Amino acid sequence: MTGRAITGMGQGLGKFMTLGIGTEIIYSFVIIVCSLMIYFGTRELYNLTKHKGIKYFRLSFLFFALAYFFRSFIKIILFYFDIREIRLLLPVFGSVTLFIFMYFSAIAIFYLLYSVMWKKWKSKLAIYLFHLSALIISTTVLLFRTSLVYFTINLLLLIFIIFTVYTAYHQSKKKKSYNLYIIYLMLFIFWIFNIVDILVPSLLQTFQLFIYLFSLGIFLLIFYKVIRKTG
Amino acid sequence: MAKRNKLEIVKDILKIIQDNHSIKPTPLLRRSNISSSRFKEYYSELLEKEFLKETYGKNKKITLTEKGQKYLEKYQTIINFIDEFEL
Repeated sequence: MTGRAITGMGQGLGKFMTLGIGTEIIYSFVIIVCSLMIYFGTRELYNLTKHKGIKYFRLSFLFFALAYFFRSFIKIILFYFDIREIRLLLPVFGSVTLFIFMYFSAIAIFYLLYSVMWKKWKSKLAIYLFHLSALIISTTVLLFRTSLVYFTINLLLLIFIIFTVYTAYHQSKKKKSYNLYIIYLMLFIFWIFNIVDILVPSLLQTFQLFIYLFSLGIFLLIFYKVIRKTG
Repeated sequence: MAKRNKLEIVKDILKIIQDNHSIKPTPLLRRSNISSSRFKEYYSELLEKEFLKETYGKNKKITLTEKGQKYLEKYQTIINFIDEFEL
């Protein structure tokens, strides 16, 4: 390890004690715990029914938990080292973490959409397409490290999400489900902000606290809805 | 009358067994209100999932297992959950 890296780590350790990284860890921890509690809290319902909707709903939160775990990992690494140091010292490690984060993020979004759309998208091909799309997204992010590619990918993802949520809402027989689709839409939009925050860290720095608070609120709301219904 | 979904048919079959404590296959088929081919499918699946068991005395009888009881207890929770999240 070079002297610069050690100095960097020392400075990083100092910064670790400040509110910034503390907030980051608390934020990730709360969302990971919420997501895992949703996943494990619905296990019995799934074991009894083997219902496809429940299956993909719980899996999406498992992937959200994993994605947030890798997200906080990247954030902590970025806190200790700058980008050049990461590319120099941890080239494979940094790339693998980013790849896994992007893959789990995309799969979490696709699975949650599929949990409400599985009756319409009956073909098993949809699942393979989701995994293929997630692979393409994460590989593209890794190969083309430019802001333009990041924006294009996230914009395409957002368009797909808005279109699917809009279709799901219009095909829903219950008009009372309006609130649910708004919550899902907000969850997806703020999740994309979280992805952009990792890919282009300087871009959303001003709004970071707002994004964190809003994302926390959405996850806590879904968690509350789950425990209210499952007991 | 609205078409019953799979979860509801399973609940109805298990409820009939629960109400009778144990029941022979033929009356169960009659009361389930589904075709015999579909009944066979459901019956095999419920046996496989260990929601019900067969007991052999003078006649073959069907009884609920603990897992079957659990399904009935949790049925309303399952439906409310699916309804809440449009699953």
